[in-house]
Amino acid sequence: MTYAKGLTGFALALAVAGVAGAAQAETSVKVALNADIRSTYPGVNRDANTDGVVHHIVEGLVAFRENSEVAPLLAEKVDLSADGLTYSFTLRKGVKFHNGAPLTADDVLFTWSKYMDKDTKWRCFSDFSKGISKVANVAKKDDMTVTFTLEQPSALFLGQMARIDCGGTGILHKDSFAADGSFDKPVGTGPYKLAEWKKGEYVELEKFAGYSPRTEKRDGYAGERVAHIDKVRFVVIPDGSAAKAALLSGSVEVLPDLDVSHLKEMKAAKGVVVDTATTMGLSAFLLQTKDPVFADVRMRKALAHAIDMAAIVDAVTLGTAKPNHSPVPVVSAYYGKPQGEPVKYDPALAKKLAAEAGYKGEPIKMVTNKRYAASFDSAVFAQAMAKDAGINIELEVIEWATQLDMYLKGNYQMMSFLYSARLDPSLSFDMFSGPKETQPRKVWDNPEAQKLIEKSMAISDKAERQKLFDTLEGMFRADLPMLVLYNGSDIAAYSDKLEGYKSWMAGQPRLWGVKVKG
Amino acid sequence: MLRYLIGRLLTTIPTLLLVSLSVFVLIRLVPGDPIALMLGDAADEATVRDIREAYGLEEPIYIQFGLWLLKAVSGDLGQSISNNAAVMPLILDRFQVSAAIVLIAVVVAAAISVPLGMVAAWRQNRLTDVLIIAGATLLLSLPSFWLGLLLLLLFGLKLGWVPVIGYVSFAEDWAAALAYIALPTLTLILIEIGVLTRMARASTVEVLRLEYITHARAKGVSEGAVLLRHALPNAFAPTWTLIGLVLGNLLGGIAVVETVFTLPGLGRLLVDAIFARDYPVIQGCMLFTAVIYVVVNLIVDLCYPLFDPRVMSE
Repeated sequence: MTYAKGLTGFALALAVAGVAGAAQAETSVKVALNADIRSTYPGVNRDANTDGVVHHIVEGLVAFRENSEVAPLLAEKVDLSADGLTYSFTLRKGVKFHNGAPLTADDVLFTWSKYMDKDTKWRCFSDFSKGISKVANVAKKDDMTVTFTLEQPSALFLGQMARIDCGGTGILHKDSFAADGSFDKPVGTGPYKLAEWKKGEYVELEKFAGYSPRTEKRDGYAGERVAHIDKVRFVVIPDGSAAKAALLSGSVEVLPDLDVSHLKEMKAAKGVVVDTATTMGLSAFLLQTKDPVFADVRMRKALAHAIDMAAIVDAVTLGTAKPNHSPVPVVSAYYGKPQGEPVKYDPALAKKLAAEAGYKGEPIKMVTNKRYAASFDSAVFAQAMAKDAGINIELEVIEWATQLDMYLKGNYQMMSFLYSARLDPSLSFDMFSGPKETQPRKVWDNPEAQKLIEKSMAISDKAERQKLFDTLEGMFRADLPMLVLYNGSDIAAYSDKLEGYKSWMAGQPRLWGVKVKG
Repeated sequence: MLRYLIGRLLTTIPTLLLVSLSVFVLIRLVPGDPIALMLGDAADEATVRDIREAYGLEEPIYIQFGLWLLKAVSGDLGQSISNNAAVMPLILDRFQVSAAIVLIAVVVAAAISVPLGMVAAWRQNRLTDVLIIAGATLLLSLPSFWLGLLLLLLFGLKLGWVPVIGYVSFAEDWAAALAYIALPTLTLILIEIGVLTRMARASTVEVLRLEYITHARAKGVSEGAVLLRHALPNAFAPTWTLIGLVLGNLLGGIAVVETVFTLPGLGRLLVDAIFARDYPVIQGCMLFTAVIYVVVNLIVDLCYPLFDPRVMSE
């Protein structure tokens, strides 16, 4: 009897220990977001925060690596036909949606039909319905193979498919939509599934137990994406100081976009790890070439020599970014010697060029905003430096939405501006090149350059593309429609209780491959 | 009384119409576009135009206003451009958060300020008066975001007594809700004590100079009775008006406090909507705020005869 009681007691103790162990094993991490997400529909009604969260839930056929190359994600492999027009995506076997359904070619076709419905308002609708990556036909070859046929060869097609703001063209199950066809919630294949979105407060994700990872190691949005944390909660904390206090008090574990002004303090803080990575975003001073002052290229060059851009970059980024005066990002595989050429700080030359251009000290209005502190600080430094060279810059500090409106209308003389990341040099040049008549937001109106950019979009050969980008670099520097300062930094601060968290060039948080210690 | 009430309610209709029209037009005059903000710098002109069209933003402004007004009359304030949520439930949901904090803060602040102001007036130009007024002026001068951050750093970070961020509703867990709203409420209490104490003191000083107070004192009425029975009712009336204004103002949004303490309140909803040029939410919030202001001040006016019977006879 005593023996039996002892056994029962032991079994009970084991059960209790098991339950306690299971309870202990559940891990959760809170990540700060500076604003609420806009939707959970990939690439539809989105912003950077939305993209960051949604990419944990859905996956596309391809994704970006850390070096901005495109790699297969839901696709096992991608084959291109000899004529460069047809891409065959062979799907990975064993991939399941969050509802347990297996991924098939039908799901890809279904999702594509949703994205290419104009009423969906997909961010990238126009990229695939016209232009270089226009898709002529999508077909199911077999249950696990889908073909996309383009109207013309495009070096950008896979990159467009992987684009972060397109939601990575994330594949959704039919259950993501209500009976009337409207979007309900994302049922994807990602390492996390949506648990709850409490608008204005938080978005909670749960680990997807049925996730089927790739075998390659984590690489950007590609490779192995295994969730080790049971619950991830993205908490909306609009105020930077409050977010910092939340990290220090342990109320959140990750601050994915730390403001550079808090960097020193965070580096010194106990229990906090800081990690930085160079992004593909670009900080620049845009010069309106239609403006009488900047119509003369000598005046644009005068300004370039009047500003010690390296000193500005060092001051505003506290050494987290390197100067870059090329539209091609530093981390791009196409960043070579012509792109790395510095711009000489020479106030005497600046004065000479300005005098030759007929500049007589008339005020130049530079538009900036305080939403992006580094952009504002750059403008203040540039104003002071230009003054020493006799160039009279006046700052006009406005709110971001107003500045964006002025940018889109080309309604400015000079502007301190941040371009979001473009993950291919063709797109980097294209973001600011084009006819001002029809696209007033473009700063570089050079038809010859535009032809070369379009050519670079159609060629896949890397060496040939490099030549084109080098030629474009020379033309850009000769025309100098904007002064490029640097590519931004993704600065993350996180609790030392986590391991595996890394910043990367896309500047988005990644909670897969991250573990809670102990 | 009923006629007065109906009259007051009828006068609010043109006010609300004017508010709606002004907000509708003004927000569209401000540069910036909700769709351009949604798409960012990578947006091309054609895509912006297409999506604007889909949201009905390409229609002439008078048609947009007419359609919005027709729906608003039936209580439908449209859908948010930012997150597609229905505006009316969104506002009501956020208002609950702001209202809980504001009501507690104003009641506590009034309960502290009125006696403080009366004591200061009673001890006019003495050390007690100087100390109270100096304290009130100091509190009045502190920016709410700065005071909020200080409290957050002290009680949240250093002492760890209350959570630093987040919100739990009273329906979910009232004890946790109290912990989450403690600091924002304290911030508001401290700021409003500054305003209300000065008002209570000023009105009490006025009343204490009147002849009927001198008469009461001459009759040998105790100082306590003079203050509570004779001075308080008359001195409280102007403070009560101010409480109404403060309440209306705060219920319309405590954006700064809500931002610092990451509270999902009405003020933050409005500010976020302005930054995102989310027209339906801005219009809805402003109309709702105007209604709140009118209702609160109507209630204050209706309570006025309790303190000053002359109002009723007028």
